[in-house]
Amino acid sequence: MLNSILYDCIYHSAPIILCVLGGCFAYKANVLNIALEGMMLNGAFVSVLTYFLTGNMLITVVLTLLSALIYGFVFSYFGITLKGNVIVIGLALNMVALAIAGFVLVLMDSANIIIQNFDLNALKIHIPLIENIPVIGHMISGHPIITYLSFVMIFLMYILMYKTKFGVYVRVVGENEEAAKSIGIKTSFYKYAAVLIGAIGCALAGMNLSLERLGLFTNNMTASRGFIAIAAIYCGQGKPVQSAIYAILFGLARSLSVNLSIFAGNAAGLFDCIPYLVMMVVLSMASYIKHKPIKERGYKVNE
Amino acid sequence: MKKLLAIVMSISLSAVMLVGCGGQASNAGGATEDSAKGNASDAKIAVVCDAAGQNDNGYNQSAAKGAELCAEKYGIETKVVEPTQSIGDTLSQLAEDGYNLIFSMEYDFDALINGEAGGKPIAEMYPDTTFVVFNATPNVDEAGKTIHDNVISVLYNVNESSYLAGALSVLANENQDVLFGDAYKLTKPDTARGLGFIGGSDSDGITVFSVGFIEGAQKMAGELGVNYDFYAKYDAGFSDSATGSTVAGTYYDQGANVVYACAGAVGDGVTSKAKEVGKLAIQVDANKDDQQPGFVLTSVIKNTEVVVQSMTEALTDGKLGDFDRITTYDLGSGSTTITDLATISQHIEQTDAAKTKWQEIKDKVAQLQSDISDGKIKVTNTQNGDTFDPSTCPNISIK
Repeated sequence: MLNSILYDCIYHSAPIILCVLGGCFAYKANVLNIALEGMMLNGAFVSVLTYFLTGNMLITVVLTLLSALIYGFVFSYFGITLKGNVIVIGLALNMVALAIAGFVLVLMDSANIIIQNFDLNALKIHIPLIENIPVIGHMISGHPIITYLSFVMIFLMYILMYKTKFGVYVRVVGENEEAAKSIGIKTSFYKYAAVLIGAIGCALAGMNLSLERLGLFTNNMTASRGFIAIAAIYCGQGKPVQSAIYAILFGLARSLSVNLSIFAGNAAGLFDCIPYLVMMVVLSMASYIKHKPIKERGYKVNE
Repeated sequence: MKKLLAIVMSISLSAVMLVGCGGQASNAGGATEDSAKGNASDAKIAVVCDAAGQNDNGYNQSAAKGAELCAEKYGIETKVVEPTQSIGDTLSQLAEDGYNLIFSMEYDFDALINGEAGGKPIAEMYPDTTFVVFNATPNVDEAGKTIHDNVISVLYNVNESSYLAGALSVLANENQDVLFGDAYKLTKPDTARGLGFIGGSDSDGITVFSVGFIEGAQKMAGELGVNYDFYAKYDAGFSDSATGSTVAGTYYDQGANVVYACAGAVGDGVTSKAKEVGKLAIQVDANKDDQQPGFVLTSVIKNTEVVVQSMTEALTDGKLGDFDRITTYDLGSGSTTITDLATISQHIEQTDAAKTKWQEIKDKVAQLQSDISDGKIKVTNTQNGDTFDPSTCPNISIK
């Protein structure tokens, strides 16, 4: 029981973590990417469709990442170059991803794309030695590669954001674009890069969710995970590690709601609420703490 | 001024688009008046799909296929619509265009029966058009009287077909040693016996499946004197296939060997999980046995094609009035049943013992089927207001 709760926690966390990590950069660069959901769905769709048609994993990965970059470029072009409203553009992309997938499914005259003769178990990596450790072994071992990648990426993204020139510039652009421009930083370039990193993260998330875990695509299968990721980014204020922890919290809650339904039936669905409650508390606390010093100063001045 | 102009233009543009979306042919008006008699020459039928669309491999697609066959057979005009506007607007526009038999697959009856936004009910506005709705009986008032004479409600006794699925699950599980080979990793009955059910929403339309399934399992478990655990989740939604997969995974982990999914695309995740862990799943709506060949035990079919065909035939013969205003399609009608098990049959062991056993099981299921049709077995139908009493199923412990 504990074993499967922990395993499923990792299972459900991975796609959200990948979205979160991608979205963090865009958040820090002050172009909130609300299209995470659409980009993830696109990743899920293109990966399964390509594998269904070609049966070649390399082509699948390349095409999936390429299609994600196209979404990223469209978002960036309209949002950054043409200075459109990023929320509206993001919403549009979310709808486009859903519509394209729906359209192709109609053309294929099918409700889903299922890859026959696809062995999901072959994609799972069993880590020698570690898999023999009780509890932890079952939790860590036996996941597909992108799931491991998602956890490794937490640290890579942390380093990229805080320990490299690139990361500093992205944050500067987000905090004060005029100042960044005045010292000669090409702000558009860094914004584009931030969005494209997000697109890649989402593509991997979609691929993990559909191809690696299920070997099939059904429309709208991302089921709002992209929006959960946005919430996690806000809670973690765009910091990769903190945001990823919120993503894992969502994963854990989903895992509890799934696993405890054996004992609690429908009531287990209440676990799905926990992350939202935590989020509300965190966001209101964060907002309270942020504004507190200003109030105090105002109070003193008035006195 | 410019702004005002822009607003006016965009409003008119969207109005044009909305009208365009209906995609109806022009000659409305006159056609409706004389179409009521339903002669073959002027019969026009329409199928309005629900949100799943006509490529859903099931419910809608089957109805669309029925319409297509009717077009060939009777040479009548048919139309399959995926509504882009409200269901009420779609229905009234089709009626206005002279379609005299309209099948509405959507689970939304307000505009048709009661009228929307203070308007008259569509059924009342077009008394010469016959509307067919599915899976509910919205067309009766509190006293049980029919409200509109031109609305037919179609119900499926999916509880009966689910009963067969439940019985089959237990029989397959108890005989797993003989039937299933190395490709499967089924939990042995002496370790644990379990069945799982995943539903999209906690409503009568879904529990009608699970209750039939439980009763069917009880029938066999009772005869064999064994006890089963029953795991169920009724809030899985209809789109999140990944969650469906993990929920099924927990049931399989607990020792369930068969999980029955009535939750749209969520069920696709369940069959994927069945293959991953080497166990069995049951699908619904259409024959989806070849989704993961060998790992889908059977599918509970809800066939809309037969309904569309038989009602269209009645329309061309002018006998549409003969249908009850609430028409129930049960096992005997062939509109709801389980599949012929052809796909799974290819995956059971090819030994003589297995073949004999499998034939025995199929005969048993066929026997149950005829018992239900003859009324010897009564299956609880929550959709018709029956309530399910778990104490009638002592061999199934519902978790």
